[in-house]
Amino acid sequence: MNDIGQVLVLGLVSGGIYGLFALGIVLVYRGTGALNFAQGEIGTFGLYAAWYVDTRLGLPWIAGAVAAIGVAILLGLAFEAAIVRSMVEASRVTVAVATVGLLLFLLAVETRYFGGASPRPIEHPIKASGVELFGIVVSPTQILALVLAAAVGVGFTVLLRRTDFGLGVLAAAQDPVAVRLVGVRLRRVSAFVWGAGAAVSALGALFIAPTVGFVTPGYATVLFLSGLAAAVVGGLNSLPGAFAGGIVIGLVEATTGRVFVDSSLPDVRFLAVFLVILAVLLLRPQGLLRAIGTGAGAKA
Amino acid sequence: MRRVPLPLLLAPLAFLPALLSRAGLFGDDVWFNAGLAVCYAAAGLSLNMLMGYAGQISLGQFTLLGVGAFMSGWLTGADRLALPFMAAVPAAAAAGAAVALVIGVPALRLRGLYLAVVTIAFTYAAQLSVFKIDAISRGSAGVELPRPQIDDFIMTRNADYLVVLLLLLAMLWLFDRAVTGSKIGRAFQAVRADEAVAASFGVDVGRYKLLAFVLSGAFAGVAGAMYGHLIQFANSESFPFDRSLLLVVIVVIGGLGSRVGVLISAAFYALWPVYIVKAFGDGFRGTDLIVGAALLMFTVARHPGGLAEAWGEGAERRRARHVEVEDANGEGDTEPPMPKLPELPRPSGLPERPAATSGDWVLRATGVSVSFGGLQALRDASIEVRANRIVGLIGPNGAGKTTLFNAVSGLLRPDSGRVELLGEDITALPAHARARKGLGRTFQLIGLARDLSVTENLLLAQHVVAGYSVGSALTRVGSANSVERELRSRAAEAIAALGFEQYAHAPVKRLSHGQQRIVELGCALVTAPEVVLLDEPSAGMSPGAAENLAVRLRDIRDELRRTVLLIEHNIPLVLDVCDELYVLAGGELLARGEPLEVVRRPEVIEAYLGRGLEHEAATA
Amino acid sequence: MNTPALLSVEGVTAGFGATTVLHGLSFTVQQGEIAGIFGLNGAGKSVSMKVLAGVVPLRSGRIMFGGRDITSVPAEDRVAAGMGHVPQGRQVFPALTVEENLRLGAYTLRRRDRRLLSPGSAGGSRYATALDGVFDRFPLLAERRSQLAGTLSGGQQASLAVARALINEPALILVDEPSAGLSPVAVAELFRTLKAVAGSGVTMVLVEQNVTFGLELADRAHILQTGRIVYSGDVAALDQDALAGYLGIGRMLGDMTAAALTSRRPALDTREVPERRAARRAARAQRRRAATS
Repeated sequence: MNDIGQVLVLGLVSGGIYGLFALGIVLVYRGTGALNFAQGEIGTFGLYAAWYVDTRLGLPWIAGAVAAIGVAILLGLAFEAAIVRSMVEASRVTVAVATVGLLLFLLAVETRYFGGASPRPIEHPIKASGVELFGIVVSPTQILALVLAAAVGVGFTVLLRRTDFGLGVLAAAQDPVAVRLVGVRLRRVSAFVWGAGAAVSALGALFIAPTVGFVTPGYATVLFLSGLAAAVVGGLNSLPGAFAGGIVIGLVEATTGRVFVDSSLPDVRFLAVFLVILAVLLLRPQGLLRAIGTGAGAKA
Repeated sequence: MRRVPLPLLLAPLAFLPALLSRAGLFGDDVWFNAGLAVCYAAAGLSLNMLMGYAGQISLGQFTLLGVGAFMSGWLTGADRLALPFMAAVPAAAAAGAAVALVIGVPALRLRGLYLAVVTIAFTYAAQLSVFKIDAISRGSAGVELPRPQIDDFIMTRNADYLVVLLLLLAMLWLFDRAVTGSKIGRAFQAVRADEAVAASFGVDVGRYKLLAFVLSGAFAGVAGAMYGHLIQFANSESFPFDRSLLLVVIVVIGGLGSRVGVLISAAFYALWPVYIVKAFGDGFRGTDLIVGAALLMFTVARHPGGLAEAWGEGAERRRARHVEVEDANGEGDTEPPMPKLPELPRPSGLPERPAATSGDWVLRATGVSVSFGGLQALRDASIEVRANRIVGLIGPNGAGKTTLFNAVSGLLRPDSGRVELLGEDITALPAHARARKGLGRTFQLIGLARDLSVTENLLLAQHVVAGYSVGSALTRVGSANSVERELRSRAAEAIAALGFEQYAHAPVKRLSHGQQRIVELGCALVTAPEVVLLDEPSAGMSPGAAENLAVRLRDIRDELRRTVLLIEHNIPLVLDVCDELYVLAGGELLARGEPLEVVRRPEVIEAYLGRGLEHEAATA
Repeated sequence: MNTPALLSVEGVTAGFGATTVLHGLSFTVQQGEIAGIFGLNGAGKSVSMKVLAGVVPLRSGRIMFGGRDITSVPAEDRVAAGMGHVPQGRQVFPALTVEENLRLGAYTLRRRDRRLLSPGSAGGSRYATALDGVFDRFPLLAERRSQLAGTLSGGQQASLAVARALINEPALILVDEPSAGLSPVAVAELFRTLKAVAGSGVTMVLVEQNVTFGLELADRAHILQTGRIVYSGDVAALDQDALAGYLGIGRMLGDMTAAALTSRRPALDTREVPERRAARRAARAQRRRAATS
């Protein structure tokens, strides 16, 4: 019983973070049809900004958080303006390759200018002690992360369905030509989507970092991958699905970690995540948890 | 390929480093870096095969190098099997190919974006999990990969090992050349350009995609062995995912599909970190990746074809000054006559076909019904085409004409009905098999591989008669060379007949619309098919050009003694050339018979002008 | 004509890639008119629509709308300037509800509305009024306001597409091949809808493959052949032979055909438009009487 409890706790806690990354991925995908492979690394980059503000400038955590989100948003908007806009005719794969370029760029810059592979320490936003559940200590940061993921998910869903602009974002992914014919400026949709996706990434990175304790290049991209798996499981078109998918992946990882804890297969959870992605894409590409009313099929 | 390939000629030069090193030229570390450049070039070639030729994306290619390296380490390690290096190389190739095949199978079902997701997940799983397995890599302790040795001579000198590396690169280069000069390379590029066009040219798309993965994996395995034995060590951290991304940068910037471009790009990326830092100091460390990544983003945005395309465009512009490409719109009243279509004998690679006697039907579709979702596109359509005739298929927009063509040529499977060609039931055959049986086809939106030249398209069009095996293609042993010669001579004949010698090596996309149509027609005829399906051949042509087309269509029937089924909107053309006319409207056959008579029937005119609403109200 | 045209297309050349489809297209549309653009497949009808909408750029020429040069105005801003669209194939947003589709249709209206809204102004914005108006006109859509647009039938989607264009209170509506892909019953329904819309004073430019359907709606016809206008004039002035000639299917008809046609269905009228309408109404009424007696 204790084991199951631990798995549940671990799964939920990490699942919340994966859900956050998945939300960003699905937002960009639903808004523009593109998959942003640099999604995670934008978060890492923001985290470096936070580290700089906290550690080098000695400002409180919140200032670092603002810097992280701000830098991430700027990065997203800059990428959209400089690269994505010139690629209106390009296939989704070509856009994806461009995001791979962004990923590599960020990794290289971090390595070069922020001290390479040596980890930079990140502190907790809330320095209270945690709660103990089933023998695992859950820090307030982790609880906050889960709450935040749910809040962001709800926030985006509301934004998308209730505001005019949000409707425009949804419609743009369904039919980019027709949406222009009702007067929606596609460029604004695109900019918003890339900026918001980046912000969500920074948020995710900010909340997992303290648990790990430090940041290194490529750090959030590993999490991004689990976020990608979460988005795939939830169906790349569904925001609630992304969040739920995050929980599912969190649980999958926790379970495999527990089951294979003594085996000679190290870090088997990554293998498990890969197999999950493969299985879902082959057997049920529309996702296991397709939300109601998201008819637009995902085609590559 | 009668000329001796360049790599073979230059092979003796591979021994130069060994001599120069012994003469005291350059330090050992310089030779090491040169070796690194060669390994990256080999890795680049492997990814180029997959992404550049076949158009399949992989964000995890460096992982396949890891597979090769670990396999080689397992075989050559002193405390393991201690096999010689040259035995390990084929094994590394095989291991790389096997793992790539495992990725390739899902690739058949997944298109671009999803494939990218799978490959990046694969590379992470490998780096973070599989490569850490003790049995494979001994974790961070790693495995030792000893340098090759001949009896007592061990190639500890980097310059000596560089000789081996250069020879291996030359071998890979030769194989790559064999691929691009054969039906394999052309098939890859067709798959990359347009899978439907590839299938209509007879390419088994699924099979060739898998082949691309296998070959790419084999190359990567070899590159991995080369790399591993260069650094003489491989552990769980030796193959990080960012190297896979770097390979993408190298291939994209060098130019997808260009061997030389990839070579230059790879050398640059291997050597820059070392020499820039040496020249300008430590401040520049790490800038290679920054610049590389930025270049990648801008290249993808502005020049998807990379440096090779940009360079190629420049060469094209230079060549274009000598060549006049005609205006397709035919603003003038006088049109140059359409070139005579090539009369080519039946290719040797095809099985015997029953001869069609005039009067018999050669192509027959019976009761074909097709529905998409809830829409009935074709209902119980039947047509019969007799030998040596030109049969026309007309009807208003959305009548189902192209759907019928797709059902006949095998691009879609009808819900019910039968298709027979020359007495044989071909309903169950896939498109590429039907092409082999003697069915040729053109497309509404010009079905050519646009990035390939006119010659390459004509060669591609003969894919079904390129009767040699993959092995023969790679090694040039067996029938590959002689068959290729035949294909090339047929292509040259066709080009000469069309009068397109000056455009022979021009990429098809640079030709005008009208010229592309002509090339497309040439491609449809180059395998001497019995029946040719032409989808709106006069689309985009001025009336003058259409008249010239009519002359050539009659040639196909009278001089080449073939059968033509064509879809057309150009009524005057249809009335000019067709022996028989079918009218399709709303998915059903409306009329059939002698053209001038059919065209005057009230129901046909009504189908074209549309139904009046009073008529509706009256019959409702 | 003293009053300036609402829409004026002047010498427009346009196409895709290496091909030029339109060669110097020129025509005008007056306020309150229903203009029909006809032509066989490949003549350039859909490119004309796309150029008017702003989705395909011009190579030369210009477009004047409401006295303003909109040649370089992007598609989105043309909508704000008073252009409405019923695209080819309807193109409703399938995963959004009917009401959400309408809300999007009123995107620029609502944007203008918000700017005019000041604290203290009465609620009940222009949008609410417009929505009510649309639901009055299309009770079928009112019933299905929360239904996903993708689940509507072809005819219902057509109504939604028209409603979506109307709710923004446009000065001009571009309707692209409205009858394409619809069953005859749905076409008849759509005809009635468009007729009513035209009757309310909205200017309409219509592109139609089904010439007969189009001619019953339009006041003026512009006939395209290989990218050029070969006829611009009143529909009433056209007869069967002229029509076939302008379309380019002249060879399809011979002297025998005209006679055959006349025996099957009435030849096109040459009377004035209002007279024609009256005659049709009378004929319909007569048939109804005949059916119920």
